[in-house]
Amino acid sequence: MPREAEPSLNEREFVLKALQENTRLDGRELDQYRPLELTFGDQYGVADVTLGKTRVLAKASAEVTVPYTDRPLDGIFNIATELSPMTSPAFEVNRPTETEVLISRLLEKTVRRSGALDTESLCLVAGQKCWSIRVDVHVLSHDGNLIDAACFAVVAALRHFRKPDTSMEGGVLTVYTPAEREPVPLSWLHSPFCITWSFFGEEGEIALLDATWLEEQVRVGSCTISLNKHGEICQIAKLGGTPVEAVALLQCTNVALSRAKDFSAFLDRKLAEDAKRRDKGGLLAELSAENDR
Amino acid sequence: MTASTLPEAALGVLPRADGSAKYSHAGYTVTASVNGPIEAQRRDEHPYEAHVDVIVRPAAGVGGTRERHLESILQSSLTQIILVKNFPRSLIQVVLQVEDTPENDYVNTKLVQASLNFAIMPALFQTSVLALLSAGVPMRATAAATAVAVVPEDGAKKIVVDPSPRQIEIAQSVHVLAFTSQEELLLAESEGDFTVKEWDDVYETAQKICCRPASTKEGMEMVLDEEDAGGPDMRHFLRSTLESKVTADLHWK
Repeated sequence: MPREAEPSLNEREFVLKALQENTRLDGRELDQYRPLELTFGDQYGVADVTLGKTRVLAKASAEVTVPYTDRPLDGIFNIATELSPMTSPAFEVNRPTETEVLISRLLEKTVRRSGALDTESLCLVAGQKCWSIRVDVHVLSHDGNLIDAACFAVVAALRHFRKPDTSMEGGVLTVYTPAEREPVPLSWLHSPFCITWSFFGEEGEIALLDATWLEEQVRVGSCTISLNKHGEICQIAKLGGTPVEAVALLQCTNVALSRAKDFSAFLDRKLAEDAKRRDKGGLLAELSAENDR
Repeated sequence: MTASTLPEAALGVLPRADGSAKYSHAGYTVTASVNGPIEAQRRDEHPYEAHVDVIVRPAAGVGGTRERHLESILQSSLTQIILVKNFPRSLIQVVLQVEDTPENDYVNTKLVQASLNFAIMPALFQTSVLALLSAGVPMRATAAATAVAVVPEDGAKKIVVDPSPRQIEIAQSVHVLAFTSQEELLLAESEGDFTVKEWDDVYETAQKICCRPASTKEGMEMVLDEEDAGGPDMRHFLRSTLESKVTADLHWK
């Protein structure tokens, strides 16, 4: 497989010199994101996120299975990230690269371990039947900052997703098809977002948000902060690279919080727009068999 | 979901691939990227021709034998139309990402093991041809595919173009046929029980869709034409998609 082309020495110097003068090649501010776009599919649980030239598609799906024997009261929740050669010919099928492992690990820590999805609510019959929720992340185009885009897509897909309605009567479990009963949303507790800082310069003194692929290739370190709009930090990952001052890192978290609030507001608005689009004639509220939490 | 919607396509949707296309028709949405000719791996290298690599990725779940089967069908038919002899020892990589498939509202699907339907073939085929054109890969002809099902109805048998998942469930046989722009049969895959007579009818219907002669009439009369033939005009669609892309690209001239 062909290797990804690395930036030349001149290109490298040019980017770094420009950053030292507080300028980015695309003219953005250091803490400015590229335009973020989100579209939902016709089906429930399909989110297409575009961040500049980076494009990620996430699809959520549900199935009834047997729970793990050591966790009989919990449902199953998985996030599958696989980078296909569509992202770049340098990726091979069935051979995970470091990028892929890091993304799936970070998504796991951010969304799964932070308890964003209440897995206990996925249990149908203790020890026998439960829902298995799966999110597939497809990276269609990679132009830097995959982690933030992928995390946003996963959260958007899960919040948009509806699973088939079920009922228990006399020990008999019924799963209703979409034609019989309107599907119900997942029990979602909070929406975490990943914000990635990239560091440049000898001591990592220049920090910027939403690096492009070129910037990612010349950075000296990065730090991913996952938090929700209430400022609850789920994880901070600084995997190697040049050490960064603790005070600078604190400042980064403060900016990250305001970005997480923006993301959250943006997602809420998009979900409301989509709900309005689907709710033709205002009959959806009557069709729904869901109880208020 | 209605099956009789007109096909839609966009070319060059992915900025980093050599060529790409997004196509949606009859509830199926597929995005394809084409990279090539690029360096081939040792095991794929062929001294006289390019290796065409097709990868089909389902929207949810991991791919299995069904995907491998679709890949092998696509690979052999695309190798026929690409001028592979022009690029010895290289690789032309076609990656097809399924984004959306029509759902059967009456059945809860098992999703963790993806099982792609036979009826997705035309969408995969059309998308890969569009992406190859967008990547500028030399081909001897363009091609179009269509799915046709034979559905029993009140004792008689009815031929349905672009069947819905519900129709496939009750269909006696499902056929996928592809024709090149020179009106040659490129691909014929069938599933189920059928007679030779039925297959002939299917063949005629598919040919009508894939290679309708270019109409000289424009406007109102063309719309009427479309109605009596039943089903979309694939050849015209392919042509007009590319024409609009070329006009947009050469806008500066």
